[in-house]
Amino acid sequence: MSVNVKNNDFGKRLKTMLRVDFRRMFLTPTVYIMLGVSLALPILILVMTGFMGEADPETGEAVAMFTSVWQAIGSAGGGMSMDLTGMCNINLLYFLVAIFVCVFVGEDFRSGYAKNIFTVRSKKLDYILSKTIVLFTAAVGMFLLFFVGAMIGGSIAGLSFDLAAVGASAGSIIACMISKIFFALVFVSIALTLACVGRQKVWLSVLCTLGAGMLLFTMIPMITPLNAGILHVIMCAAGGALFAVGLGALSNVILNKVSLV
Amino acid sequence: MNAIEIRNLHKDFGEKHAVDGLNMTVPEGAIYGFIGENGSGKSTTEKCICGLIPPTSGEIKLFGKDHKDGEERGKIGVLIEAPGCFPNMSVWNNMKLQAANLGIKNENEEIRRVLHLVRMDGAASNKFKNCSLGMKQRIGIAFALLGDPKLLVLDEPINGLDADGMRIMREILLDLTQNHGCTVLISSHILGELEKIATHYGIIRGGRLLKEMTAQELNASCPTYVHLKAADMNKALAVCNNAFARVEFDEERGEIRIYDKLSAEEAASYLFGNFGIAVTELGTAKISLEEYYIDLMKEGK
Repeated sequence: MSVNVKNNDFGKRLKTMLRVDFRRMFLTPTVYIMLGVSLALPILILVMTGFMGEADPETGEAVAMFTSVWQAIGSAGGGMSMDLTGMCNINLLYFLVAIFVCVFVGEDFRSGYAKNIFTVRSKKLDYILSKTIVLFTAAVGMFLLFFVGAMIGGSIAGLSFDLAAVGASAGSIIACMISKIFFALVFVSIALTLACVGRQKVWLSVLCTLGAGMLLFTMIPMITPLNAGILHVIMCAAGGALFAVGLGALSNVILNKVSLV
Repeated sequence: MNAIEIRNLHKDFGEKHAVDGLNMTVPEGAIYGFIGENGSGKSTTEKCICGLIPPTSGEIKLFGKDHKDGEERGKIGVLIEAPGCFPNMSVWNNMKLQAANLGIKNENEEIRRVLHLVRMDGAASNKFKNCSLGMKQRIGIAFALLGDPKLLVLDEPINGLDADGMRIMREILLDLTQNHGCTVLISSHILGELEKIATHYGIIRGGRLLKEMTAQELNASCPTYVHLKAADMNKALAVCNNAFARVEFDEERGEIRIYDKLSAEEAASYLFGNFGIAVTELGTAKISLEEYYIDLMKEGK
């Protein structure tokens, strides 16, 4: 029996690292909690707000906050409304993804598992790349589950599924979801870099990531509207890729310069 | 070939020089006892070797290649401070992760093998956080042994181990070095245990290596002494102090030690023949590694 980390073969190195990270992700309860929350969140939002409503100033009758299920995904206008529908939608997931990244990476350092990884692996880029892929995959799962949850919640709350009423089409909804998923890569990259800075101090990386997320939060409805097209998808994919490459390189430099224990 | 070769290693933490121009050579197949006081730079040196902290300057070579070389780093098994395990995960799952990290083919078989080596077969299903300190230490050793490493870096591995654990540890390390060509760098404060297995020693102080020697060289440097107890200890001690060049009184054992070159019989007959002091206990011994180390530290101070 001998150790089989062929460190000169990038493909093999990445494959083994991905195996470790995927295995670890599915062995820890955090990912299931996050996926569960992503599914339950839209159901709770849509069902709960179905019983609440603001009074119409003219008629005095209660007006439901969510009238269409697609409001849980976004708005067609592209601007961000500061009411409950503008805040409590799929975009909340970006913060959830960021927290998940910080906790997942921070746990490597808090538990001391990072010692096992970095003793065997001199190339920190394997770690960054693998974490980016694995955590982005988790983010994709979270977004898809939110979408499913929104459909379930909308059905329970009896909301409208009419696409035309919100100025969208089936194609634009798909483009919107793909854009949002690609944009999650931006949050994954930022959170990963800040988690590499904070390492054992998970609270610090979470705080910094949430702060950075707040700056980007208002941009999200503009970049990923309900009536998104191929241009939005390309823009988000390019943005995600640029952030992943740029911040990945930065994370690599950070891990090469600091103490890993 | 040397398994580890360190030249002029420096590691600064702000103003503090944790490692200050350290030179060290660990031959292949050796069990290298790395000894030093707390804060002397042992763990920092080991972390530098394993690539866990970047050195400020200096050169570290593993098996003749730079320590950043991925191929060589893949040959290291490590236990520094505590085992790197996820507390809420079972021992088995933690080991599966490490086996995947090492790219081991027959994971289950290999995990069973190393757990059996450290007599922890029954603990595989336990959550790591529920294991006792001694169990955690054994599991840490099993972690380090996964995949038959060519170099083991162990920082205080026998802390928390019971007598059986220490014996197993000794047997494993001797087997690894003698039958599998493995090299071991081991730091420990339990010098009595280290003395039983180490083939080489490095003594570090203030981030510098004070002395590096083989077990044979240590043996030659450790003086033999005559130890005795007499009916009248006060008189015997006064006589010895006058008659011999280096005499010490071991308060712990209540005996007189004479380090001059003479046999036990000569010492006893001198005391009885010239002063009528009856010797009740008599023998010769060599100073231990621990005593040698303490003497060396005193000299340094």
